[in-house]
Amino acid sequence: MYHKTVPYRIFNLFNTAFLLLLGLLCVLPLIHVLAVSFSAKSAADANLVNLWPVDFTTVAYEKTINNPVFLSSLWVAVKRTVIGTVLTLGLACLAAYPMSKESTVFKGRNVYAWVFVFTMIFSGGLVPFYVVIQKLGLMNNFWVLILPAAVNVWLTILLLNFFRGVPKELEEAALIDGAGHFRTLISIYLPVSLPALATLGLFSMVFHWNSWFDGLLYLHNKADYPLATFLQTVIVQKDMSSMSINPKEMELLSQKTVNAAQIFLGALPVLVIYPFLQKFFVKGLVLGSVKE
Amino acid sequence: MRGFKRSWQFHLMILPSLLFLIVFAYLPMAGIVMAFQDFKLLGGGIFGSPWIGLENFRTMFEREDSLQVIWNTFFIAALKIIFNLLAPFTFAILLNEVRKAFLSRTIQTLVYLPHFLSWVILGGILLNILSTDGGLVNRALGAIGIDPIFFLGEGNWFRFTVIASEVWKEFGYGTIVFLAALANINPSLYEAAEVDGASRWKQTLHITIPSLIPMAVVVGTLSLGNILNAGFDQIFNLYNPLVYEKGDIIDTFVYRTAIMEGKFGFATAVGLFKSIVSMALIVISYRIAYKVANYRVF
Amino acid sequence: MKAFTKKGLLLAVACMMLISLLGACGKADNDGNNAGANNGGANDAGETAETGNGYKDKYDPPVTITTVWGVDPELKFKNGETIENNVATKWAMDTLGIEIKSLWSVTDSNNAFATKMRLALTSGEEIPDVVTIGDAQLAQDLIDSGLFREVGSLFDQYANDTWKAAMAIDENVWNPYTRDGKRMGIPVLDYAYNHDYLLWIRQDWLDKLNLQAPKTLAELETVMEKFKNENPDGLSPDQVTPLSIGFKNKMSTWMGDPSWVFGAYGTLPEQWNAGADGKLEYGSINPGMKQGLETLKSWHDKGYIPQEAALWDENKTAEPAVAGTAGIIPGPYWMSGWPLSDTAKNVPGAVWKPYAIPAGPDGKAMRHGTHFTNGVTLISAKMEHPEALFTYQNYMFDNYADPKPGSVFDNGLFKNYDYDIAEDGTLLRWEDIPGGYVNSVRYLLVRDGARIPDAQMKALLNLADGKEATTRLEKEVQTAYGLETPGAAKVLLSQEDISFKNMFTGPPTETMSSKLDYLNKIELQTFNEIIYGQKPVDAFDDFVSTWKSGGGDKITEEVNTWYDSVK
Repeated sequence: MYHKTVPYRIFNLFNTAFLLLLGLLCVLPLIHVLAVSFSAKSAADANLVNLWPVDFTTVAYEKTINNPVFLSSLWVAVKRTVIGTVLTLGLACLAAYPMSKESTVFKGRNVYAWVFVFTMIFSGGLVPFYVVIQKLGLMNNFWVLILPAAVNVWLTILLLNFFRGVPKELEEAALIDGAGHFRTLISIYLPVSLPALATLGLFSMVFHWNSWFDGLLYLHNKADYPLATFLQTVIVQKDMSSMSINPKEMELLSQKTVNAAQIFLGALPVLVIYPFLQKFFVKGLVLGSVKE
Repeated sequence: MRGFKRSWQFHLMILPSLLFLIVFAYLPMAGIVMAFQDFKLLGGGIFGSPWIGLENFRTMFEREDSLQVIWNTFFIAALKIIFNLLAPFTFAILLNEVRKAFLSRTIQTLVYLPHFLSWVILGGILLNILSTDGGLVNRALGAIGIDPIFFLGEGNWFRFTVIASEVWKEFGYGTIVFLAALANINPSLYEAAEVDGASRWKQTLHITIPSLIPMAVVVGTLSLGNILNAGFDQIFNLYNPLVYEKGDIIDTFVYRTAIMEGKFGFATAVGLFKSIVSMALIVISYRIAYKVANYRVF
Repeated sequence: MKAFTKKGLLLAVACMMLISLLGACGKADNDGNNAGANNGGANDAGETAETGNGYKDKYDPPVTITTVWGVDPELKFKNGETIENNVATKWAMDTLGIEIKSLWSVTDSNNAFATKMRLALTSGEEIPDVVTIGDAQLAQDLIDSGLFREVGSLFDQYANDTWKAAMAIDENVWNPYTRDGKRMGIPVLDYAYNHDYLLWIRQDWLDKLNLQAPKTLAELETVMEKFKNENPDGLSPDQVTPLSIGFKNKMSTWMGDPSWVFGAYGTLPEQWNAGADGKLEYGSINPGMKQGLETLKSWHDKGYIPQEAALWDENKTAEPAVAGTAGIIPGPYWMSGWPLSDTAKNVPGAVWKPYAIPAGPDGKAMRHGTHFTNGVTLISAKMEHPEALFTYQNYMFDNYADPKPGSVFDNGLFKNYDYDIAEDGTLLRWEDIPGGYVNSVRYLLVRDGARIPDAQMKALLNLADGKEATTRLEKEVQTAYGLETPGAAKVLLSQEDISFKNMFTGPPTETMSSKLDYLNKIELQTFNEIIYGQKPVDAFDDFVSTWKSGGGDKITEEVNTWYDSVK
């Protein structure tokens, strides 16, 4: 067995240490944001906070939780992410299955593939898109967050590549049993593609969770904004030269700590979901079902 | 095979996605005509603005710094694409060797985190740690006798910093797709190799890497669509007058000249130019993958 | 039954008439109270409240004004209100009979309002009757679209005396919005000097070092040298930022601004200054720039300014100031409230005091000035009752802009929103308003309600001279601004004659559209490279000739053509 050999053990030790170090390097910025969120405003504005809070306080979190817009936008974001992800995954599965076939089996697949990919590269830009949204009556409507982004070509292509890895024998057996393609997809392909579906689901969730521009442009009320849009409007620094000065707003201006708290709370749901999805990355799922 | 007769089912399965694409992608593509118009906000619109032929493209290429900006964009974007592919690929293989599930999952989760911080935040952090005036990195370099490096203020170092920080931010997220591919490898391949007495290195070389290559080709080909997207948010937050020459990219310049001024015709023209270049590269690499490896990327 | 109903109806009508009569009495009383401040409105509209052309003090039946909103991201709402429906829209309906109808609104971050406005109009959405635009480029495009009407004649006809007087303080405010002599948009007035700057200096450091505030650049250098090398707080030289300035985005900005260094040599960068020959000249190509750049270079070499000034934007320059490691920061008079009030929390005993801009070797000093306007209100060509806007704004100028004590808005705009009164009748501090302070002024149809350019400075000067706060404005600046603000205002006004505004306020010229971005780019690049010693100071001369041949001369010509047309 290779992993008992001495050179491999040494390699493994160094490898693990190196990767842990890399992990540490990746977590530091988030710790910094956390430290800022628990620090006093004066210290944060002076850039005195590194990795540990200065003058510990939870004021920023109280302000965030007490902001009704934060909570309502959190709910919109959850709704958007769940509905959007389910729809995207459903459409991707349906479209990826036929496109994963060879062109000898499904003649039109190449045409379809290019029709799909073309939309990844070319776009008419914002103006005509806006007109379409408006004519469809999606302006100031929750579904504007869902429908335009329902088809994710990138994920569809990823999935079709995963589907190609599904052993042919499985499919043929099903078809010979008289199952249609819909049933083959659902009862054969999907169960063996769990790692792929988990990956796609995660990507889709993250995409929906982080999208902010559509909310800003097509929704009118802050209360309807998804969280990412709301956060975007608070994080951006203001250019004071182009606005009129109101002294009472000065106080509200420097919200570094509150922003940090909101960034952290805003990212938290997608951060904690990953470890749960990892259990789908278990090796041998495909093989297991072949043996059955 | 009875499957042949069922191809109507295939069309039916694609139909929903196709409808969405027609409405939300192909319909708005009519707007591409704006690239050839002196697009007027009002009293014109897409169908009434005056036609000016290739004037918008001329404006784009006639600037004294046009070539410089396009080259900057291409250079930064190309290196980002390469390293954004290599880093997750390598990392996934290394992570695959960590036997303890707990450790492996912890590391995975940690490296996944930076993806969720915006460049507004990371820009501020980079400014701090890369400072020549007591920044963490330069102090560390000083400890081993290296003079402070002006990472964000010297053109070549700026490019390096932009690429390195992007790779650092995204490699963990990019790894996920390779981990999923690893999970799809048939374990019996390893069992057989083990029986043959192949070393771990040999197994990696002959089983793991070849199994990941198709996924790498797919991800790589699709990312060519970004060959002229060097990362607007990042560069916009980090660039400054000292590095305009090496750091100004197409998107920042379009932002300054077109977006801020509502010149939609010009912005569309630049977008069209970028799309054509990307499409050409994708077609080429698709062909190569098919001819050389007989693999259809999509 | 029928007869009874009729009687009932009559009774009701009689009651209504009585009520409206009483209402009118109440109004007359009110007018009597502020006769001094209010005579303009009364004269124009007359007590009959109607003139031949439809102008009324109150509309019955109500008239509708449609508008669109770019909502400030920081703006808060309470009691479940929105920008469409809130205390200010209710007030307008009740008091003026004007219904404010919102077509759409957008939270204005990332330039969203301008984008949305362009997209909405391009896609054929309804054009708002009245819209206030802050973005200069968007305003110019909208004016050129032909969808909005000439407003100058309306203004002359309907605006009351208070408003006209405010507008007359600087006739140039109309310039950006004038086309062929026609005034196409009503400038939104702002308080004067809001973005003029002075030097904030650590007084405790000066005192401990026994130094006088610097009056010249030479003295300033001495101060910076001592701040750095003999730091009174015991900071080592490399920890101190004697002068916190940044050049990341511009050389002429609003905080941490370096432009006065060039002012000491007779020019202000990035703006159009009147030359000796009466023509406009681009400040960044004036030979004085060269000396300014040399000065900045030597300060950079000596460590007086941040080593990474080229990477620092405005907010970054405030960091060392708040941290207590910076000795001097240029910025507006209102900075003592934010951000400088936090310095003492990090370094107990830190005191910032405002000082005048120091003069150069020839005794010259210049700072960039602030325009009295921060936007424009446009009126749709299709608006049926444009006079309604004037009813609204006249009321604001008479009762809100700078009313004498005793007016309706004496304590603020809306009770329990931007002010509240304690049980004992005293005014609550704004932090103590039940349910929280909201800046309801921003709910008003025209941004900031109504501002008279010199009103705030006058109020601040009164306070600086020791007068007790009596008017709304005086009370407001006293409670809301930092302690040093009145003093800073005084310093600022003591140098009124060195404040120079950008003289070019017209729409971008043809050559600007195609060439300006590149010219700006090489300008900033050259200046920074000279300061960092990557290029010799003589590179400035190359820049000037490149600038001129690269379109600059043409732009100068176009700018002067525009200038001649508005002179």
